[in-house]
Amino acid sequence: MKDSVKIIIPSHPKYLSVVRNVTSKIGEIYGIDETIVNDLKLAIDEACTNIIRHAYKGDTTKRIIIRYTVNPGQYTVVLEDNGIKADKNKLKGRDLNDIKPGGLGIHFIKRVFDIFMLDEKKKKGNRLILVKYLK
Amino acid sequence: MKTEITDFKGNKRIKITGDIDMHTSPELREVLLSIIKKSKNQCVCVDFTDVTYIDSSGIATFVEGLKAIRASGSRLFFYGLPESIMEIFRFSRLDRVFEIFRTFEDAFGI
Repeated sequence: MKDSVKIIIPSHPKYLSVVRNVTSKIGEIYGIDETIVNDLKLAIDEACTNIIRHAYKGDTTKRIIIRYTVNPGQYTVVLEDNGIKADKNKLKGRDLNDIKPGGLGIHFIKRVFDIFMLDEKKKKGNRLILVKYLK
Repeated sequence: MKTEITDFKGNKRIKITGDIDMHTSPELREVLLSIIKKSKNQCVCVDFTDVTYIDSSGIATFVEGLKAIRASGSRLFFYGLPESIMEIFRFSRLDRVFEIFRTFEDAFGI
């Protein structure tokens, strides 16, 4: 059986710190380099922020499911919500040279994860699959 | 997150302690924009020494603050950024946009 950790948080920004703490702890358990753990914390936080902001439109009464699976050489996080379906064509960050508020979250996610995939088989809501290959 | 505001030779210093994220950035935005609104030909200096985390919401707050301060004739600058946070500014290419100093003394040339 694969080791995995699943957490469910309310879609309220005050729980983002819980996600960061769990991400840190998993990094510690698997001996992942601290710099990478910091990047993972930011990326997973941004993925949750996107869910709250775009899928749930700021509704803090919904829930977000986050599942972590770490195998030799591979760190996978799956985030699920039951909100508005994301348009994968719009999942692009802003041009980094165009200085304006917003549009950085997707860049922070793609900076660390090697695979960024929206599972189109999910009928209601979104399932985002993120994979990082560990050396 | 906590903010502490002090005066320094007619300028404002904002010391931030803790995490800046989607939950705390609205409070930071209120503090920052309120100071900027009152400032005229002043320096607004942000002390990052005890900032433990920043996400895109926090960065967006500072970009908004920068745009607002340019209109007021004042200056916004930062000092004491931990390396992990400096790296985020570099990646976002915002290290070229914000005035960032190593220490408070460097920032004020004292």
